[in-house]
Amino acid sequence: MAFSFIKTTFKINIARMSKHRLGEFEELVLLTVAVLYGEAYGIAIIDEMERRLDRTVSIGSLQTVLRRLEKKGYLASELGEVTKVRGGKRKRFFTVTNLGRKALEITKDQRLDLWNSIPNIAFGD
Amino acid sequence: MKNNQSNHPPKLLLQFFRWYCNPDFAEDLEGDLYERFERRRASKRPGLAKWYFAKDVLSLFRPGIIRSLCPKSFLNPTVMLRHHLLLTYRQYRRSPNTFLINIIGLASGLACAIFIFLWIQDEYQIDRFHAKDQRLYQVMQNYPIAGGFETTEYQPGPLAQALREEFPEVENAISVCPPLGSAGNKGVISTAENQAKASELYVDPEFFEFFSFPLEVGDPEWVLKNKDAVVISKKLANQLFPSPEEAIGQTIEWFREDVTIPFTVTGVFDDIPAQSTLQFDLLLSYPSLAEHSQHLRTWANSDPYTYTLLKPGVEIEALNDKISTYLQEKVSASVEDPNYIFTGTAFVQPFSDRYLFNRYENGRPAGGRIGYVKLFATIAFFLLLIACINFMNLSTAKAIHRAKEIGVKKVIGAQRSSLISQYLTEALLITLLAAIVAVILVYTLLPQFNGITGKEIAFRPTPTILIGLIAIIAFTGLLAGSYPALYLSKFQPAKIFKGKLTRGLREYWMRKGLVVFQFTISLVLIIAVMLVYQQIEFIQNKNLGYNNERILTLKQDGNLRNQFPAFKNSLEALPEIEAVTTFRHDLTGDFGSTSGVQWEGQGEGQRIEFGNLEVDYGLMELMEIQLVEGRTFTPDFATEQNKIIFNEAAVKAMGLKEPIGQKIMLWGEPREIIGVAKDFHFESLYEKVKPCMIRFSPNNENILVKLKPGSPKATIRAIEETYHAFNEGLAFEYRFLDDDYQRLYASEERISLLSRYFAALAIIISCLGLFGLAAFTAERRAKEISIRKILGASAASIVQLLSKDFTLTVLLALLIGIPISYLLSQYWLQSFAYHIEIQPWYFLGAGLLLLLIAWSTVGIQTLKAAKTNLIQALKDE
Repeated sequence: MAFSFIKTTFKINIARMSKHRLGEFEELVLLTVAVLYGEAYGIAIIDEMERRLDRTVSIGSLQTVLRRLEKKGYLASELGEVTKVRGGKRKRFFTVTNLGRKALEITKDQRLDLWNSIPNIAFGD
Repeated sequence: MKNNQSNHPPKLLLQFFRWYCNPDFAEDLEGDLYERFERRRASKRPGLAKWYFAKDVLSLFRPGIIRSLCPKSFLNPTVMLRHHLLLTYRQYRRSPNTFLINIIGLASGLACAIFIFLWIQDEYQIDRFHAKDQRLYQVMQNYPIAGGFETTEYQPGPLAQALREEFPEVENAISVCPPLGSAGNKGVISTAENQAKASELYVDPEFFEFFSFPLEVGDPEWVLKNKDAVVISKKLANQLFPSPEEAIGQTIEWFREDVTIPFTVTGVFDDIPAQSTLQFDLLLSYPSLAEHSQHLRTWANSDPYTYTLLKPGVEIEALNDKISTYLQEKVSASVEDPNYIFTGTAFVQPFSDRYLFNRYENGRPAGGRIGYVKLFATIAFFLLLIACINFMNLSTAKAIHRAKEIGVKKVIGAQRSSLISQYLTEALLITLLAAIVAVILVYTLLPQFNGITGKEIAFRPTPTILIGLIAIIAFTGLLAGSYPALYLSKFQPAKIFKGKLTRGLREYWMRKGLVVFQFTISLVLIIAVMLVYQQIEFIQNKNLGYNNERILTLKQDGNLRNQFPAFKNSLEALPEIEAVTTFRHDLTGDFGSTSGVQWEGQGEGQRIEFGNLEVDYGLMELMEIQLVEGRTFTPDFATEQNKIIFNEAAVKAMGLKEPIGQKIMLWGEPREIIGVAKDFHFESLYEKVKPCMIRFSPNNENILVKLKPGSPKATIRAIEETYHAFNEGLAFEYRFLDDDYQRLYASEERISLLSRYFAALAIIISCLGLFGLAAFTAERRAKEISIRKILGASAASIVQLLSKDFTLTVLLALLIGIPISYLLSQYWLQSFAYHIEIQPWYFLGAGLLLLLIAWSTVGIQTLKAAKTNLIQALKDE
C-alpha cells in the first residue's frame, strides 16, 4: 500500500513538472547557478559556462533565460552591495530555489533512467 | 579628456538600453554591461570594447528584457479624471486673472482659426460638387506673346469635336461658349407678357453629362438635343411663367445684339449654387450658334471654352503634348499665310483646380487664389500658436506654486505619465471652455465675416466642420498643454522639499524665447497691415492717365440698341449730364487684343500684341485721356473707320519716329495714324502699360455717362426714367466706373481689412500674455521691491527695474521681426508692376508702436508693484 502511494505522488509530480520541462540551456544555467553558489550573477555565470562547457554564451540569451527561470520560480535573486566598479550599479545574485532543485532532480532522474534502460548491445559493449 | 571619454561606454547606446530595458532589470544589467566593457578595455584589444558593448546591448534587445508596452495602471480613469478636474478648478479659483487671460487668449485664437477654417473649407468646395469632378478637365491654351505666353481659356470651336473623335484618351468633350464679344452683358428674354434680363451660355447637348446641375423639370439627356431648345433657371421660370412645370413647351424670344430668335423651353434647372464658377440663367444650343457663326468653325479663332472628360488613368503630360502638336498643325494650316506657324501650346487643367490655381506663368498654372488660402492658413496657425504660448508661459511661470503638489504626488507614488496626463487634461479642459466661447463668437460674428470675405458661409454642424473643429481644439489643447506637462512633471521631489527648486537658465530662455516669438509675429503683422494699406492708398490715388470719377455706365440692352441715337439725345438733354458716349470695353481689364498689325520698319518675324480698345466719338475727351500729339475721333471727318490712335508704349514698341500720318496695316487693311495717346492704365496695376491701339467703333455695348459735379441721386433717377421710356419693364442697372476700378482690387481690400483684424488680435493676445507674466514677476519679486524701497529706491527706479527685462525682450523681437517683414514686403510688392517703395519709417513706426503697447501693458503692473504696501509684502516669512 505504502509503496503504491509513493508511486502515485511521484507520478503526479512528473505530470506537474512536465508542464515546466527544462530546456537544455535552462538546465545548464540552473546547474551553473547552483555550482556558483552565492557568487552567481550575470557575468560570473557566463564566465563559468564558457569555461566549463567550451561554448560562447551571449548576454542576451543568458539574461532572458535567467528572468524566465526566476518568473517560473526555479531561481530567486537579490541585489548585492553598491560598489565603486560597474558604474556604481549593484549585482543581482541568483540562487536555485527548492522548486528549481526539484526540477533539476527530475531531469537528472529521467536521464539516468534512460541511461540505465539502454540494452548493453546497443552501444556494442 | 579623449582618453577619459573612451573609458566609458558609448552614451547613445547606454541611453538606448535605458530606454528599452524593463526598469526592474535595468540596474544590474547595466552593471553587467559596464563590467564586461571595463574588462574588455583592459584586454589586449581595447579598441574592440565599444563594438562588443554594442553587440551586448543589441543582444539584450529581445522580449523578456524589453519593458512592457502598456504600463500597468492601477488607477481608475474616471476617478483620476474627477481628481484632475477638481485640481484644475481649485488652481484657477486661486488665480482668476490667469484663468481669464487664458480663456480670452485661447478663445480669440480659436475663433480666428475657426473662421479661417470655414473660409478655406468653402474655397475648397468651389466647383467640386460635380459628380465627375475627378475626370473633368478644361483645355487651356498658351498663346505666344512677346516674352512668354499668355494663357487663355478660349479655344478654337472645332477643338471639342476633334478631341471627341480623334483622341482615344478622351471619353467626351464639349464646347461651352459665353456670349460672343460682349462678356458680362445681358440679353433680354421675353414671353408675350413678361420680359427679363438674363445671361446665357451656348452649350453642347451633353452639358449635363459633364456638370451636375440638377434639373427641376426635364431629362438631362434630351433637353438640349434640339437646336431651338432653351433650358432656363428656376428663378427665370418663376419670373416668366406661373410655375416651372408650365414653362415646358412654351416659346420664348431671346433678344441679343439686334437679333431676336424664338426658342422652346425644354427644361428648367435649379438655381446655380454660389459654389459654382459657371454662372448662367439660361442655356442655348451651341451647335446652332456654330451654324450661324463662321468663326466658330475655323481653327484660326478662339472663342468657346472646351471641357473634356478623360478616361481613367490617362497620362496628362503625354496628352498635353499630343493636343499641342495637333493644335499647332491645325491652326497653322487654317491661316492663309503659308509662312505662318502657330507656336502656341495647350494643356488640360482639372476644372475644379481652376478656381484656386488661376494664375499662369509661362503657360503653366502658377498659384493664384491658393496663395491666399495658404496665407490665411499660416495666419491661423500662428494666432493659435501665440495663444498657446500664453498658456505655456503662464503655466510654467506659476509652476512654483504647484511644486509642492507635484512633490507630494510623486512621493506617494504618482508616475510621471499620470502627472503628464493631469496637466494635459487641464490644458484640454481650458481649451474646451475657450472653444465654447469661440464658437459663440463665431456664431455672432459670422454675418460680419461674410461681409468682409464676400461669401455666404454657414456655420452648421456638418461632418467636415465638426471634424475640423475637433481637430483644431485637440491640436490647440495638446500644443498648449505639452510643454507645461513635460516641464512640471519633471520636477524632482527631493529638490522640491529641500526648497532647491532653482529655475534653470534653459527654462528662463525658453520662456523669453516664446515671448520674443509672439512679439515677432505681432510685428510682422503690424508691418503687413501698414504696407497693404499704403499700397492700396497708392493704387487708389495713382494717376491712371484718365479720370474715372462721376462716370456712370450702363449696358446697351433691349431697345437701346436700335434706338441709341434717340436715347443719347434724350440723355444729353438732361441738364446734369456733361456727355454721353459708348465704349466697347471698360478700362478695368476687359479689352481685346491682336497681333495683326504690320508697320513700316517692322523686323522680320517681329510681332507685337496690341491691346485693342474700341471707342465712340467723344470717349477720349470724356475719360480725359491725354493726347501727346494728333487728334481724336470726331464726327467732322467721314472716314474715321480707317484711322487709328496708338498709345506711347505702342509707338515706342514699333519704333515709329513720326507717327502722325503714317499708315499701318491692320488685319490686311491700311489705317492712318491720327493721334498718339499718353500711356494710361487700361488694366490693373499688376500689369505694366502694354502697347495699345484705339479704334473707332460707333454704338458699343457700354454706355458711359459723365455727370456734372453735385449730388448724383436726382440725375440717376432722371436717367432711369429715360431708360424706362425706351425699355419698359426691364430693370435699370448701372454702375460707377470708379467703383468698378475699386473692385479690381477687391481681394487686396479684403486682405487689408482681414489682416488689420488679425494683427490687432495678435497684439491683444500677445499683450495679454505679457500682462500675465508681468503680474507674476511683480508678485514674485514683491519682497525684493519692498526692500529696495526701504533702502530708498524711488517708484520710478523700480518701474525701470521691472520694465528693463520686458523692453529687452521686445527689442529682440524687433531685431528678428524687421528683416523677416522686410523680405515678405518686398515679395508681396513685386507682384505689382507699380508699387510703393519700402520706407524705413514703416519698420521704425511699427517697432515703436509695439514697444509702446508692451510698455503700457507692463507699466500698469510695475506701477502697481512699485506702490505696494511694504508691510504687506514683508510681514510674513
